[in-house]
Amino acid sequence: MNGSAALVDNANASQSRRVFWDQDVYQLELERIFSRCWLMLGHDSLVPKPGDFITTYMAEDRVILSRQPDGSLKAFINSCTHRGNQICHADSGSAKAFVCNYHGWVFGQDGSLVDVPMEERCYHSDLDKSKLGLAPIRVETYKGFIFGCHDPEAPSLEDYLGDFCWYLDTIWDGPDGGLELLGPPLKSTLACNWKVPTENFVGDGYHVGWTHAAALQMIGGELAGLSGNRADMPFDDLGLQFTMRHGHGFGLIDNAATAIHVKRDGYVKYLEETRGGIREKFGPERERLYVGHWNTSIFPNCSFLYGTNTFKIWHPRGPHEIEVWTYTMVPKNADTETKRSIQREAIRSFGTAGTLESDDGENMSSATYNNNGIITRKGRMNSSMGKDREGPHPVYPGIVGVSFIGETSYRGFYRFWQEMLDAPDWAAIRANDDTWDAMWTNRNFWPERLSAKQAEPQD
Amino acid sequence: MTETRKPVGMELHHAIVSHYSAEVRMLQNQQYREWFDTVIAEDIHYWMPVYEQRFARDRRPDPTPGDAAIYNDDYAELQQRVDRLLTGQVWMEDPPSRIRYFVTNVEAFEIAPFEFEVFSNVLVHRNRRQSEVYVHTLGREDKLRKTDSGFKVFSRKLNIDARVVQDKNLYFFV
Repeated sequence: MNGSAALVDNANASQSRRVFWDQDVYQLELERIFSRCWLMLGHDSLVPKPGDFITTYMAEDRVILSRQPDGSLKAFINSCTHRGNQICHADSGSAKAFVCNYHGWVFGQDGSLVDVPMEERCYHSDLDKSKLGLAPIRVETYKGFIFGCHDPEAPSLEDYLGDFCWYLDTIWDGPDGGLELLGPPLKSTLACNWKVPTENFVGDGYHVGWTHAAALQMIGGELAGLSGNRADMPFDDLGLQFTMRHGHGFGLIDNAATAIHVKRDGYVKYLEETRGGIREKFGPERERLYVGHWNTSIFPNCSFLYGTNTFKIWHPRGPHEIEVWTYTMVPKNADTETKRSIQREAIRSFGTAGTLESDDGENMSSATYNNNGIITRKGRMNSSMGKDREGPHPVYPGIVGVSFIGETSYRGFYRFWQEMLDAPDWAAIRANDDTWDAMWTNRNFWPERLSAKQAEPQD
Repeated sequence: MTETRKPVGMELHHAIVSHYSAEVRMLQNQQYREWFDTVIAEDIHYWMPVYEQRFARDRRPDPTPGDAAIYNDDYAELQQRVDRLLTGQVWMEDPPSRIRYFVTNVEAFEIAPFEFEVFSNVLVHRNRRQSEVYVHTLGREDKLRKTDSGFKVFSRKLNIDARVVQDKNLYFFV
């Protein structure tokens, strides 16, 4: 498709409204993003034993993720190779085999075709079962989180996460075993483009005080001052924003990990007891991350809030609808009571009836559907906040923005989104590895800011 | 389900159905505080569990209050939800949405002196932002206590008839 430069204007930090509306943009996303990127499938904790499986989606493709007898994982397309029916309709379970409802073809835990009813009498030795296994999907894990990818040319998962691993290790590896996911996922439909929640989670600290004014007022705690944007806060010193080579990014609010949780004694205690281990293992820069709150998206369609610990996959359903799946992230080695309490609070705030989530859904629908007007759709959207107050940082990888309220990671997300749409293949993307961050021209922002800070008299 | 218990008599049944009608009228009129103060007991457990779609042969137990649940509220938590709606800062409810409830199939059983287990079906129709319409059906399992100030619910379990909720949120009371 020509003209994707018009969809995203990096220099002026704006996007065409067509990115939320047009069917042809969506088709290109399915082909060039969802068919080529690593997509979140789940976590080891959801399929702990051989034979365990879950069914999920990669964009609109139905997928089975299955734990093998040797402990490894396989994923394959959940569609019979005979006449195309969906083979497994359960959300999860344990199965020795998957049997299609239509004609009874039997597929093994590894997706291979192992039995065909009345094979000799009907096919007379003419059926090559070895060629009729379920279409396999690349599966790799990082710190227990399981991803799938359709593109054999895509980099390894670790390279795809890239610089983001440095950050993720802080919480996914953690002091002693990191995080796991608690299901089953809550599921709901939301009439919005998949990128609206993704961009919101990747970098929108700005909406928190206004959109969630009522909830923050009710919850109280560290973020109550943000409610209604009433407090006069020095935003530049309250957090940071980050964006990576492959569009992943997050915003950090310092010392606010558990701010959204009302009942949080167990989790606060856990973090206090383990932060020393983080300092030892990863240094003070990442201890800062460990006790902060993250709003995060992993490109393209997985988001989480570390601290609040809600974990989302936004499965696209055409350009104007998504299916929202909500898990909870919990520390693997916390006690059961603490895990349950984290799950309760995470769902209470960001589940299907969440005190904050319900505010967001309304905005996301509105930001999508307003663009059905032809004149409206000719307009553009602005993401310029903090545009020159960001750059490479001597400590933190990627591009770092000065405040958690800013749009650094929006810009990074759409930069990579456009790169993926334009690139014919992963070789073309790799060719940009050394120049991807050239659009951030204020290269001396952080060195100058940090040395100016050092020159300030200390209190 | 084979039910060997006897339902309550006509007069009590009528009182419970009338109580539900009054409850619904308050919710339809956005009288959330009145609703909360009138019908909710201080030992309430307000619960909407998540039922996975599982094979019939699957032996895993049904969800407990320790598992993922869309609602899993005690008295203070439910009160916070009411408080939020009354802050005047819930933009999604301004202008307010319309909601209508239909409560049917009411079956009530006495489980202790002045305590009743009540099953009902609830249909909820929401209209928001001009033309958005959402319809939900739920099975409701209540435990009611008859007090001097009327019936109070101290346990409410809501089974929503959807694995994938067909709505942008379920932030309304049933």
